Amino acid sequence: MPRAASSSTATVWAILRKECRSEWRTRYGLNAAVLFAVTSLTAVTFAAGRMPDRPDLLSALLWITLLFAALSSMSHSFVREMESRTLLLMRLVASPTEIALGKLLFNLLFLVIVEVVTVPLFLLLTGAPPLRMAQFLLILGLGTLSLAASSTLVGAVIAQTRSRGALFAGVSLPLLLPVLASGVSGTRAQWDGMPVDGDARLLAAYAVALFGVSLLLYDHLWED
Amino acid sequence: MIWRILIFLWIATTMVVALLGAPLVPVLQETTRVLYFHVPSAWIASVALGWSMLNSILYLVRRDLRHDDQAAAAAELGLVFCIVATVTGSIWAKSMWGSWWNWDPRETSIFFVLLIYGAYLALRGSIEGEEKRARLSAVYSIVAFVAAVPLVFIVPRIYSSLHPDPIINSTGKVDMDPMITACFLSMLVGFTFLFIWLQSLRVRVFRLERRLAA
Repeated sequence: MPRAASSSTATVWAILRKECRSEWRTRYGLNAAVLFAVTSLTAVTFAAGRMPDRPDLLSALLWITLLFAALSSMSHSFVREMESRTLLLMRLVASPTEIALGKLLFNLLFLVIVEVVTVPLFLLLTGAPPLRMAQFLLILGLGTLSLAASSTLVGAVIAQTRSRGALFAGVSLPLLLPVLASGVSGTRAQWDGMPVDGDARLLAAYAVALFGVSLLLYDHLWED
Repeated sequence: MIWRILIFLWIATTMVVALLGAPLVPVLQETTRVLYFHVPSAWIASVALGWSMLNSILYLVRRDLRHDDQAAAAAELGLVFCIVATVTGSIWAKSMWGSWWNWDPRETSIFFVLLIYGAYLALRGSIEGEEKRARLSAVYSIVAFVAAVPLVFIVPRIYSSLHPDPIINSTGKVDMDPMITACFLSMLVGFTFLFIWLQSLRVRVFRLERRLAA
């Protein structure tokens, strides 16, 4: 059993490395996501201006920007497999759960990179008030986990449908609205000097629930 | 046929008794009566969506398309009852809170549930092939239910809500006037049978559609 566990960890790791490598070769997914995030950020800050005294608006705009940047690109790791017809080969060497876990880690990494670019830029351009770093990172991190867990599962489902691109946002967004809602409310509480634990608990519960149920369902994603 | 008439008579009788005979709750006044429609719809919506998830799990285990029919029909009906609960709730909110829609945590969470199951139906519509549609929809339906449960049961307990279970039901037990309780439970039974009947109809339509296509 420990042997099997370690070999499947190795497989997940190998898939993560393969994802990173193939993304690095083209970089079109990452470029598109970062470009999208920065462009929508520009649109938002240009349209709304600097608002150092409106943490309510700031937290809403921050999460909407992040969510849309994620939605514009998160499905591509599965869609790419479908388009290049490489999924079958992957399934020969790895179990569905291993593939999905590898992709989940990749999506997580991807999101973190997008956030590393977007969030500081957002704070800078909007002239946001100083952060309470621990609380802010807690909310952001938990939100990112839920975002990655749900878009990996939905991405895998959507990649097998007819209208992949159009449907992904429509089908993921409803599942992510709770993340948006408590992310916004937690970020605002962080700026207002209020406790964030209620929102953090909800985000954590949501992330755990989504991830747990994904683990059970990954095996049913592909079957021919 | 006889079932249909019985359900109709049952709900109609309860409605008359509830509107004419049952007393009112102090704070809620005349709006007490929305209880007989709003809560049973919300209840049936939960039951239907739970039934949809149960059948989705059964489908993934047994690979029997009849479970997929059940799951899809229950999700559609759950959505319909959810809409009824939302609309009756909104009408009630207009008279009690003064606005149709206020983004109270209850309103927010039921709205999210509506969108999630709307997405389920959109997803179903875009997958070709019965087996594949059944399998992927089952996966999504399970995720949807897991996402909806915290929304409906946890959110109103973390964020402060104005939703009146504390007024009618402050101690956590059912603690209402016996006449109200009787009408309410009778309406619950009526709605439950209404759901069972509609569900059986919808499943039959799915089965006939499949036979026609084959």
